[in-house]
Amino acid sequence: MSYKELKSRIDTQQVTFLDGGIGTEILRRGYTWASHQLKSKPELNLEIHQDYINAGADVITTNTFQLSKRSFRNHFANDEHLAAIGARGLLDRAGELIHESVALADKARRSINHNDTLIAASITTLEWCFRPDHSPDVEEIYDEYLEELTDYADAGADIFLFETFNSTPEAEVAIKAAKEIGIPAWVAFVPYQDGRLLGGQSMAEVADAMGHNEPDVLLLNCAPPDHITAGLEQLATLWDKPLGVYAHVGKFNPPEWQFTDEYNADQYLQECKHWHNLGATVIGGCCGTTPDYIKKLTQFFS
Amino acid sequence: MNYDNINEKLSSGQPILLDGGIGTEVMRRGVRWRQHGIEDAPDVIRDIHVDYLDAGVDVLTTHTFNLTKRNFINFFRDTEHMSLIGATSLPTKARELCHAAVSLAKEALTQTGKIETIPLAGSIAPVMHLFRPDLSPSKDDCLTHHSECVEILSDCGVDFIFFEGMNNTREAQAALQAAAEFDLPVWMSFIPGLDGNLLNGEPLLDAANLARSQGAKAIIVSAASLSMITKSLPNIINGSPCGAKAIVGRYSPPSWKPDFYPSFVDTDEVSPEKYAQEVNSWLDQGAQIVGGSSGTTPEHIRALRGMIG
Repeated sequence: MSYKELKSRIDTQQVTFLDGGIGTEILRRGYTWASHQLKSKPELNLEIHQDYINAGADVITTNTFQLSKRSFRNHFANDEHLAAIGARGLLDRAGELIHESVALADKARRSINHNDTLIAASITTLEWCFRPDHSPDVEEIYDEYLEELTDYADAGADIFLFETFNSTPEAEVAIKAAKEIGIPAWVAFVPYQDGRLLGGQSMAEVADAMGHNEPDVLLLNCAPPDHITAGLEQLATLWDKPLGVYAHVGKFNPPEWQFTDEYNADQYLQECKHWHNLGATVIGGCCGTTPDYIKKLTQFFS
Repeated sequence: MNYDNINEKLSSGQPILLDGGIGTEVMRRGVRWRQHGIEDAPDVIRDIHVDYLDAGVDVLTTHTFNLTKRNFINFFRDTEHMSLIGATSLPTKARELCHAAVSLAKEALTQTGKIETIPLAGSIAPVMHLFRPDLSPSKDDCLTHHSECVEILSDCGVDFIFFEGMNNTREAQAALQAAAEFDLPVWMSFIPGLDGNLLNGEPLLDAANLARSQGAKAIIVSAASLSMITKSLPNIINGSPCGAKAIVGRYSPPSWKPDFYPSFVDTDEVSPEKYAQEVNSWLDQGAQIVGGSSGTTPEHIRALRGMIG
């Protein structure tokens, strides 16, 4: 399916399916996710993408969450320090891995004759996603986004999925860069239990800011189901364009994930039905969800 | 009190040999880096300590660098967010792991028959990433954090506190102030930048003198390349106990984690023999305490022992 076809489906309120967790799926299958495993375990990436496609995902996401040049630079005092003690080629590594990630997603869809599955580039905030207090100065990050998005565009991504954003100003910069490149932008924010963004903005502020920027889909993600519900209940009354959701299940146990049975695939489906009733039509899973979760969704809604 | 043994050596000017990398050694031995490997591979950690003891160290360091509650909290917006989406074990996890880490070091000392002689240094890292002085929080925040760290290690029964990798004066002062409330000797290591001063640009000479005036019994430079360490060393040499240890290899951080992760590559570029040669020049210049930072192995420490005699 072309993006145009997907968009017309989304615009006509048909349910569209994202994939589920990738980093957590790598952990669940017995490997560390510290280096994304893009070059070290390509077949593992491939299998996970294939499993999500077979589960019925219309859109699969690249295994690139929090992967950026800045993620590497952030481990050093400055670039001179990085040059002195950092691994050789470290500043090129993010770009290389981004290309690898899109190539693996592409290979996955072709390998099982699902060339119509779309590839969303997973892009989060430049600084740690759960730390709005570390957000960079938005005046200084446009070029950084442009460089990163260009890598995904060159590699062949179909959609930019800006996910786990904690405030609107950084999302606006990201969308602006996406528009310059000419690839559709979807934006997913993290809600908190009070229905506000993790960074404190109200959903009215979100709707207002995004109304000016027009992402093709506005989503909520990377929070437990009850936080997603709290955010969606508010956002749905303020937003009449396509809405999406994907919650996490289990607990964050840095640097890994604790899988719990609090929301099994059946219970997650019940939550998704509720979110669909509230107006969400783009649905998937975040950390802790597996291909089984996505299969439950696609079987029910299809 | 095992510290007395080291104190005698310090006073008499004898060389003192520290251990080498622990986190990097855990990873080099194939252990997945989560919770410092303490839950997954306690035997490996004990073996590493034993290997350093067999290599001839005069001090054993605990595998507690960066092992703090704060390090978990840093992944979340705040403690409330952590309580809602984080694993329930997180608030007490660091304390439990520190106790386990110290026990492993003590087991290694017992196993090698050195529990009565070799002092155990309780390692404490900067509040935030050791290479990011710009993230170091306010003095009060540092004070609270380091008080908690010292309290935990003091409870565990270490012989002295070793603040490792301090990168700015404010935090170093707060750490020493926190430690002053406890009845343990304190050593401190500073990270130099490329110009031989502190990583954040402050004069290392002043930082070292300030730390001495606040009671630090020894000043060390660490967590930098051989050439950076060599360049910074003159700034801490003044006749009182001081020392140095360098990184071998290059820091290759993971692609997403925001905190320090002991992943180093090209560590074979500095052989134990070459490392020992450099360290020998530091001893000639007046360094008394030597060991290894990230990337160094028991073989590097063995080579130093061979050189020191």
